[in-house]
Amino acid sequence: MTTHAEATAREEGKFTPQDHQSGMPTALVGMLLFIASEVMFFGGLFATYFNARATTSGAWGPPEGAHELDIALAGVLTAILVASSFTMQFGVWAIRRGDTGKLKLWTAITLGLGVLFLAGQLYDYSQLGFGVGDGVFGTVFYTLTGFHGAHVFGGAVGLTIVLARAMRGQFSARNHVAVEAVSMYWHFVDVVWIAVFSTIYLLG
Amino acid sequence: MSDTAFGFLLIGVAMLVVLGVIFAVASRGSRGEVAPVHPPRGVHLPPPSFLPVVMSVGGVLLGAGLAFRGDGEVANPFLAVPGLIVLVLGIFAWVRAANHEWRETEHGPHDDGAAH
Repeated sequence: MTTHAEATAREEGKFTPQDHQSGMPTALVGMLLFIASEVMFFGGLFATYFNARATTSGAWGPPEGAHELDIALAGVLTAILVASSFTMQFGVWAIRRGDTGKLKLWTAITLGLGVLFLAGQLYDYSQLGFGVGDGVFGTVFYTLTGFHGAHVFGGAVGLTIVLARAMRGQFSARNHVAVEAVSMYWHFVDVVWIAVFSTIYLLG
Repeated sequence: MSDTAFGFLLIGVAMLVVLGVIFAVASRGSRGEVAPVHPPRGVHLPPPSFLPVVMSVGGVLLGAGLAFRGDGEVANPFLAVPGLIVLVLGIFAWVRAANHEWRETEHGPHDDGAAH
Protein backbone atom coordinates (compact mmCIF):
# COMPACT_ATOMS: atom_id res chain seq x y z
CA MET A 1 0.00 0.00 0.00
CA THR A 2 1.30 3.42 -0.88
CA THR A 3 0.46 6.48 1.11
CA HIS A 4 -0.70 9.64 -0.58
CA ALA A 5 2.67 11.33 -0.08
CA GLU A 6 4.47 8.38 -1.59
CA ALA A 7 2.13 8.26 -4.57
CA THR A 8 2.71 11.97 -5.20
CA ALA A 9 6.47 11.54 -4.91
CA ARG A 10 6.26 8.61 -7.30
CA GLU A 11 4.43 10.66 -9.88
CA GLU A 12 7.08 13.33 -9.59
CA GLY A 13 9.72 10.69 -10.23
CA LYS A 14 11.26 10.95 -6.79
CA PHE A 15 12.80 8.09 -4.87
CA THR A 16 10.24 6.63 -2.49
CA PRO A 17 10.46 4.09 0.31
CA GLN A 18 8.34 1.84 -1.87
CA ASP A 19 11.25 1.51 -4.27
CA HIS A 20 13.35 0.12 -1.45
CA GLN A 21 11.27 -2.93 -0.77
CA SER A 22 12.64 -4.81 2.22
CA GLY A 23 15.61 -2.48 2.59
CA MET A 24 18.35 -2.61 0.01
CA PRO A 25 18.29 -3.40 -3.71
CA THR A 26 19.81 -6.76 -4.52
CA ALA A 27 22.49 -5.17 -6.69
CA LEU A 28 23.75 -3.12 -3.75
CA VAL A 29 23.80 -6.17 -1.48
CA GLY A 30 25.84 -7.94 -4.15
CA MET A 31 28.25 -5.02 -4.37
CA LEU A 32 28.62 -4.97 -0.58
CA LEU A 33 29.39 -8.69 -0.54
CA PHE A 34 31.89 -8.21 -3.36
CA ILE A 35 33.54 -5.36 -1.45
CA ALA A 36 33.67 -7.57 1.66
CA SER A 37 35.58 -10.18 -0.34
CA GLU A 38 37.86 -7.46 -1.68
CA VAL A 39 38.59 -6.34 1.88
CA MET A 40 39.75 -9.89 2.58
CA PHE A 41 41.88 -9.86 -0.57
CA PHE A 42 43.63 -6.64 0.36
CA GLY A 43 43.90 -7.86 3.94
CA GLY A 44 46.00 -10.71 2.60
CA LEU A 45 48.19 -8.34 0.59
CA PHE A 46 48.75 -6.09 3.62
CA ALA A 47 49.56 -9.13 5.74
CA THR A 48 52.15 -10.10 3.13
CA TYR A 49 53.65 -6.62 3.22
CA PHE A 50 53.93 -6.50 7.00
CA ASN A 51 55.23 -10.03 7.21
CA ALA A 52 57.92 -9.31 4.61
CA ARG A 53 58.84 -6.08 6.39
CA ALA A 54 59.10 -7.79 9.76
CA THR A 55 61.18 -10.72 8.57
CA THR A 56 63.57 -8.84 6.24
CA SER A 57 66.93 -8.23 7.84
CA GLY A 58 68.69 -4.94 7.09
CA ALA A 59 67.17 -1.74 5.75
CA TRP A 60 63.59 -1.83 4.44
CA GLY A 61 62.95 0.14 1.29
CA PRO A 62 63.87 0.41 -2.37
CA PRO A 63 66.96 -1.57 -3.38
CA GLU A 64 70.46 -0.08 -3.35
CA GLY A 65 71.01 2.40 -6.16
CA ALA A 66 67.31 3.07 -6.78
CA HIS A 67 65.58 6.36 -6.00
CA GLU A 68 63.71 6.90 -2.78
CA LEU A 69 59.92 6.69 -3.06
CA ASP A 70 58.42 9.95 -4.32
CA ILE A 71 56.20 10.85 -1.37
CA ALA A 72 55.26 14.22 -2.86
CA LEU A 73 53.94 12.67 -6.07
CA ALA A 74 52.11 9.97 -4.12
CA GLY A 75 50.64 12.70 -1.90
CA VAL A 76 49.30 14.52 -4.95
CA LEU A 77 47.82 11.25 -6.25
CA THR A 78 46.18 10.69 -2.84
CA ALA A 79 44.63 14.15 -3.00
CA ILE A 80 43.36 13.41 -6.53
CA LEU A 81 41.74 10.14 -5.48
CA VAL A 82 40.18 11.57 -2.31
CA ALA A 83 38.81 14.49 -4.35
CA SER A 84 37.35 12.00 -6.85
CA SER A 85 35.45 10.30 -4.01
CA PHE A 86 33.81 13.64 -3.25
CA THR A 87 32.94 14.32 -6.90
CA MET A 88 31.47 10.81 -7.15
CA GLN A 89 29.27 11.45 -4.13
CA PHE A 90 28.12 14.78 -5.59
CA GLY A 91 27.01 12.81 -8.66
CA VAL A 92 25.07 10.33 -6.49
CA TRP A 93 23.36 13.12 -4.60
CA ALA A 94 22.52 14.80 -7.92
CA ILE A 95 20.79 11.74 -9.38
CA ARG A 96 18.95 11.16 -6.07
CA ARG A 97 17.43 14.59 -6.70
CA GLY A 98 16.79 13.59 -10.32
CA ASP A 99 19.42 15.98 -11.71
CA THR A 100 20.81 14.01 -14.66
CA GLY A 101 22.88 16.91 -15.98
CA LYS A 102 24.86 17.18 -12.74
CA LEU A 103 25.24 13.39 -12.67
CA LYS A 104 26.92 13.46 -16.09
CA LEU A 105 29.16 16.35 -15.07
CA TRP A 106 30.31 14.84 -11.75
CA THR A 107 30.74 11.36 -13.22
CA ALA A 108 32.88 12.74 -16.03
CA ILE A 109 35.01 14.68 -13.53
CA THR A 110 35.38 11.58 -11.34
CA LEU A 111 36.41 9.49 -14.34
CA GLY A 112 38.91 12.16 -15.35
CA LEU A 113 40.42 12.22 -11.86
CA GLY A 114 40.63 8.42 -11.85
CA VAL A 115 42.43 8.39 -15.20
CA LEU A 116 44.73 11.14 -13.89
CA PHE A 117 45.53 8.97 -10.87
CA LEU A 118 46.37 6.00 -13.11
CA ALA A 119 48.56 8.17 -15.33
CA GLY A 120 50.34 9.52 -12.26
CA GLN A 121 50.90 6.04 -10.89
CA LEU A 122 52.32 4.79 -14.20
CA TYR A 123 54.61 7.85 -14.30
CA ASP A 124 55.67 7.06 -10.71
CA TYR A 125 56.45 3.47 -11.71
CA SER A 126 58.56 4.62 -14.67
CA GLN A 127 60.65 6.89 -12.40
CA LEU A 128 61.26 4.45 -9.54
CA GLY A 129 64.27 2.70 -11.02
CA PHE A 130 63.53 -0.69 -9.50
CA GLY A 131 61.33 -3.47 -10.73
CA VAL A 132 59.02 -6.13 -9.35
CA GLY A 133 61.92 -8.60 -9.23
CA ASP A 134 64.29 -6.35 -7.25
CA GLY A 135 64.19 -7.72 -3.76
CA VAL A 136 61.34 -8.38 -1.35
CA PHE A 137 60.45 -4.71 -1.20
CA GLY A 138 60.13 -4.45 -4.97
CA THR A 139 57.83 -7.45 -5.05
CA VAL A 140 55.46 -6.37 -2.28
CA PHE A 141 55.52 -2.74 -3.44
CA TYR A 142 54.45 -3.54 -6.98
CA THR A 143 51.99 -6.23 -5.86
CA LEU A 144 50.18 -3.94 -3.43
CA THR A 145 50.18 -0.75 -5.51
CA GLY A 146 49.69 -2.67 -8.77
CA PHE A 147 46.62 -4.54 -7.52
CA HIS A 148 45.24 -1.28 -6.19
CA GLY A 149 45.87 0.36 -9.57
CA ALA A 150 44.05 -2.51 -11.27
CA HIS A 151 41.10 -1.84 -8.96
CA VAL A 152 41.16 1.84 -9.85
CA PHE A 153 41.05 0.78 -13.49
CA GLY A 154 38.10 -1.49 -12.68
CA GLY A 155 36.38 1.48 -11.04
CA ALA A 156 37.15 3.57 -14.14
CA VAL A 157 35.47 0.90 -16.27
CA GLY A 158 32.39 1.14 -14.04
CA LEU A 159 32.43 4.93 -14.23
CA THR A 160 32.72 4.77 -18.01
CA ILE A 161 29.63 2.57 -18.18
CA VAL A 162 27.74 4.87 -15.78
CA LEU A 163 28.73 7.90 -17.86
CA ALA A 164 27.68 6.26 -21.13
CA ARG A 165 24.36 5.15 -19.65
CA ALA A 166 23.77 8.57 -18.09
CA MET A 167 24.31 10.15 -21.49
CA ARG A 168 21.63 7.84 -22.88
CA GLY A 169 19.32 9.11 -20.13
CA GLN A 170 18.92 5.72 -18.50
CA PHE A 171 19.04 6.97 -14.91
CA SER A 172 16.44 8.76 -12.87
CA ALA A 173 15.83 9.60 -9.22
CA ARG A 174 13.93 6.33 -8.85
CA ASN A 175 16.15 4.12 -10.94
CA HIS A 176 19.91 4.50 -10.55
CA VAL A 177 21.13 1.48 -8.64
CA ALA A 178 24.18 1.18 -10.93
CA VAL A 179 25.32 4.67 -9.91
CA GLU A 180 25.01 3.77 -6.23
CA ALA A 181 26.89 0.50 -6.72
CA VAL A 182 29.76 2.06 -8.67
CA SER A 183 30.05 4.87 -6.13
CA MET A 184 30.31 2.32 -3.30
CA TYR A 185 33.10 0.57 -5.15
CA TRP A 186 34.85 3.85 -5.89
CA HIS A 187 34.78 4.87 -2.21
CA PHE A 188 36.17 1.48 -1.29
CA VAL A 189 39.06 1.85 -3.76
CA ASP A 190 39.74 5.29 -2.32
CA VAL A 191 39.86 3.98 1.25
CA VAL A 192 42.21 1.18 0.20
CA TRP A 193 44.55 3.71 -1.40
CA ILE A 194 44.64 5.74 1.82
CA ALA A 195 45.71 2.55 3.61
CA VAL A 196 48.29 1.73 0.90
CA PHE A 197 49.69 5.27 0.95
CA SER A 198 49.89 5.34 4.74
CA THR A 199 51.53 1.93 4.91
CA ILE A 200 54.06 2.09 2.08
CA TYR A 201 54.85 5.79 1.78
CA LEU A 202 54.30 7.25 5.24
CA LEU A 203 55.10 4.29 7.51
CA GLY A 204 57.87 3.14 5.15
CA MET B 1 62.71 7.45 -23.29
CA SER B 2 63.77 4.30 -21.47
CA ASP B 3 62.28 0.92 -22.27
CA THR B 4 60.58 0.85 -18.86
CA ALA B 5 58.91 4.22 -19.39
CA PHE B 6 57.83 3.18 -22.88
CA GLY B 7 56.31 0.00 -21.44
CA PHE B 8 54.31 1.94 -18.85
CA LEU B 9 53.24 4.39 -21.57
CA LEU B 10 51.93 1.45 -23.59
CA ILE B 11 49.98 0.20 -20.56
CA GLY B 12 48.47 3.66 -20.09
CA VAL B 13 47.47 3.94 -23.75
CA ALA B 14 45.98 0.43 -23.65
CA MET B 15 43.90 1.40 -20.59
CA LEU B 16 42.53 4.45 -22.43
CA VAL B 17 41.72 2.33 -25.49
CA VAL B 18 39.84 -0.20 -23.32
CA LEU B 19 37.88 2.58 -21.62
CA GLY B 20 37.04 4.04 -25.02
CA VAL B 21 35.78 0.70 -26.33
CA ILE B 22 33.68 0.19 -23.19
CA PHE B 23 32.22 3.68 -23.56
CA ALA B 24 31.36 2.98 -27.19
CA VAL B 25 29.71 -0.35 -26.36
CA ALA B 26 27.79 1.03 -23.36
CA SER B 27 26.59 3.97 -25.47
CA ARG B 28 24.77 1.57 -27.80
CA GLY B 29 22.13 0.91 -25.13
CA SER B 30 18.58 2.07 -25.52
CA ARG B 31 17.79 5.71 -25.02
CA GLY B 32 15.61 6.70 -22.09
CA GLU B 33 15.03 5.22 -18.69
CA VAL B 34 15.27 1.48 -18.34
CA ALA B 35 12.50 0.17 -16.13
CA PRO B 36 13.75 -1.67 -13.06
CA VAL B 37 13.33 -5.42 -13.26
CA HIS B 38 10.50 -6.72 -11.10
CA PRO B 39 9.45 -10.33 -10.77
CA PRO B 40 6.35 -11.08 -12.84
CA ARG B 41 3.00 -11.80 -11.21
CA GLY B 42 2.78 -15.19 -9.61
CA VAL B 43 6.46 -15.31 -8.73
CA HIS B 44 7.11 -15.32 -5.00
CA LEU B 45 10.40 -15.15 -3.19
CA PRO B 46 10.77 -17.24 -0.06
CA PRO B 47 10.70 -15.26 3.19
CA PRO B 48 13.81 -14.94 5.37
CA SER B 49 14.54 -18.02 7.44
CA PHE B 50 16.90 -19.18 10.17
CA LEU B 51 16.61 -22.79 9.04
CA PRO B 52 19.67 -22.77 6.73
CA VAL B 53 21.81 -21.60 9.66
CA VAL B 54 20.26 -24.17 12.03
CA MET B 55 20.88 -26.96 9.54
CA SER B 56 24.45 -25.92 8.86
CA VAL B 57 25.15 -25.91 12.62
CA GLY B 58 23.75 -29.43 12.74
CA GLY B 59 25.85 -30.42 9.74
CA VAL B 60 29.02 -29.01 11.29
CA LEU B 61 28.37 -30.88 14.57
CA LEU B 62 27.74 -34.12 12.70
CA GLY B 63 30.85 -33.65 10.56
CA ALA B 64 32.97 -32.82 13.59
CA GLY B 65 31.61 -35.91 15.32
CA LEU B 66 32.70 -38.05 12.37
CA ALA B 67 36.12 -36.41 12.23
CA PHE B 68 37.13 -36.17 15.88
CA ARG B 69 36.46 -39.67 17.12
CA GLY B 70 38.31 -41.99 19.44
CA ASP B 71 40.12 -45.13 18.22
CA GLY B 72 37.66 -47.82 17.16
CA GLU B 73 34.63 -45.52 17.33
CA VAL B 74 32.49 -44.75 14.30
CA ALA B 75 31.85 -41.23 15.52
CA ASN B 76 32.11 -39.11 18.62
CA PRO B 77 28.63 -39.52 20.12
CA PHE B 78 28.71 -36.21 22.03
CA LEU B 79 29.06 -34.30 18.76
CA ALA B 80 27.46 -36.56 16.15
CA VAL B 81 24.19 -37.38 17.96
CA PRO B 82 23.16 -33.75 18.69
CA GLY B 83 24.31 -32.86 15.19
CA LEU B 84 22.17 -35.55 13.61
CA ILE B 85 19.14 -34.55 15.70
CA VAL B 86 19.49 -30.86 14.78
CA LEU B 87 20.01 -31.74 11.11
CA VAL B 88 16.97 -34.02 10.88
CA LEU B 89 14.75 -31.58 12.81
CA GLY B 90 15.98 -28.83 10.50
CA ILE B 91 14.98 -30.81 7.42
CA PHE B 92 11.51 -31.50 8.85
CA ALA B 93 11.03 -27.84 9.82
CA TRP B 94 12.15 -26.69 6.38
CA VAL B 95 9.80 -29.05 4.55
CA ARG B 96 6.98 -27.89 6.84
CA ALA B 97 7.82 -24.25 6.19
CA ALA B 98 7.93 -24.90 2.45
CA ASN B 99 4.51 -26.57 2.52
CA HIS B 100 3.09 -23.73 4.56
CA GLU B 101 4.60 -21.20 2.17
CA TRP B 102 3.19 -23.06 -0.83
CA ARG B 103 -0.32 -23.02 0.64
CA GLU B 104 -0.05 -19.33 1.44
CA THR B 105 1.27 -18.52 -2.01
CA GLU B 106 -1.45 -20.47 -3.76
CA HIS B 107 -4.44 -19.61 -1.62
CA GLY B 108 -3.47 -16.64 0.51
CA PRO B 109 -4.43 -13.03 -0.16
CA HIS B 110 -2.60 -11.15 -2.86
CA ASP B 111 -1.87 -7.46 -3.11
CA ASP B 112 -3.05 -7.33 -6.71
CA GLY B 113 -6.22 -9.20 -5.80
CA ALA B 114 -5.78 -11.74 -8.59
CA ALA B 115 -6.09 -15.43 -7.90
CA HIS B 116 -3.25 -17.52 -9.21
